[in-house]
Amino acid sequence: MSLNYEEMSWSDVRDQFRKWREESGRHSDEVVQLWVAVLEDKVQKTGNERHLILEQVIVAALDTARFDIATKCTKQLNEEFPGSLRVMKFKAMRLEALEQYDSAIEVLDAIIEKDETNAAPRKRKIAIMKARGLRLDAIKELNAYLKKFMSDQEAWQELCNLYMGEGEYGKAAFCMEEVLLHNPHSHLIHQRLAEIRYTMGGLENIEIARTYYSQAIKLNPHNLRALYGLFLCCSYLANSKAVSSKRKESQKLAQWALEQASIHTANHTTIKNNEKLIASLDSAFGGLEIKSN
Amino acid sequence: MGSKFFNKLLLIGGFASLAHAAFSAAHHRTYLRLTEQEWSSLPLDIILQTVISLMIVVYNIIQIVGDFKEIRATVDMQAKTWDTLGNFPSFYTFNHRGRALSPSYKPHDYDD
Repeated sequence: MSLNYEEMSWSDVRDQFRKWREESGRHSDEVVQLWVAVLEDKVQKTGNERHLILEQVIVAALDTARFDIATKCTKQLNEEFPGSLRVMKFKAMRLEALEQYDSAIEVLDAIIEKDETNAAPRKRKIAIMKARGLRLDAIKELNAYLKKFMSDQEAWQELCNLYMGEGEYGKAAFCMEEVLLHNPHSHLIHQRLAEIRYTMGGLENIEIARTYYSQAIKLNPHNLRALYGLFLCCSYLANSKAVSSKRKESQKLAQWALEQASIHTANHTTIKNNEKLIASLDSAFGGLEIKSN
Repeated sequence: MGSKFFNKLLLIGGFASLAHAAFSAAHHRTYLRLTEQEWSSLPLDIILQTVISLMIVVYNIIQIVGDFKEIRATVDMQAKTWDTLGNFPSFYTFNHRGRALSPSYKPHDYDD
């Protein structure tokens, strides 16, 4: 995203920051630049939101290795809340960004000792393991964490990602199902679960994937990725050894998904004469046959 | 903008009319007590004024306050993308290549 820093007033920046905070976009570079250009001098005006903005800036500054900004903001928060565990966490994060992992873990352990119910430092410890490349340890620790904090969706999703990194798709699918129970209306979670099942392969899994893709499309008919996934699943099933009635049904569904997908792309394309280009591509590749053996 | 101003005027008028109806009702009861008549019910014009001004107030408040939220649970979710949904702030790691963009970056000098 390109933002014109000079034309933005401090309230515009505050609203933009709030939007990023709420939808949890990373945007670290933009946050730091906007902070330096606009908000740093005006932060007193934002009232109670100030602390949230400072926290956001600290994380963004650490993410872009701007330790000067991070230290300044942490100092401000520390003056206001001396001895706060939340501020202590940022000190640990600073050590983490400096790659002094052992001392970071010491600080985090001190926080956990003071407040056993505090989830954030435990998550940071897992992030440190990830940063060190100890993925298996991170998985073990995250499993232990999830035994204590079972309703933490973020952690379930992270565990899913870690399992996928290890190629353990069955376990990843289990984690995603757990997330799905928390938001049954999210088309993206359905789509993700379908993708995991499709990656696992095999007739049974692809049938499950087809079901989840269908549900994702039902929840959001504009989900192009799910439409294409449905097409892939159905064309796999149509060429598989399933019963012939099932194969016919899949063929039909694949046709439908492809039609829907082409309607959506035709409606949203910004390329002029897109259809002509596709037609010429089709004729160019028409004689080509790709076989997978 | 113009219609919102009109709605605000109507809202104020509606509240005034509602207050006026309440005042008239109170007045009506004092009148009955003074003339020593039996209390049966409010006269039709006061009831009508109350109901109509209540309608006006309800309608104009709805117009002024803002748009309705979608009742279907999925509509909010449709605008989301995996970019934001798959981003977990509490599991950020900082040892990535973004560090090289920092002005004070020195290669292979991590202990300061």
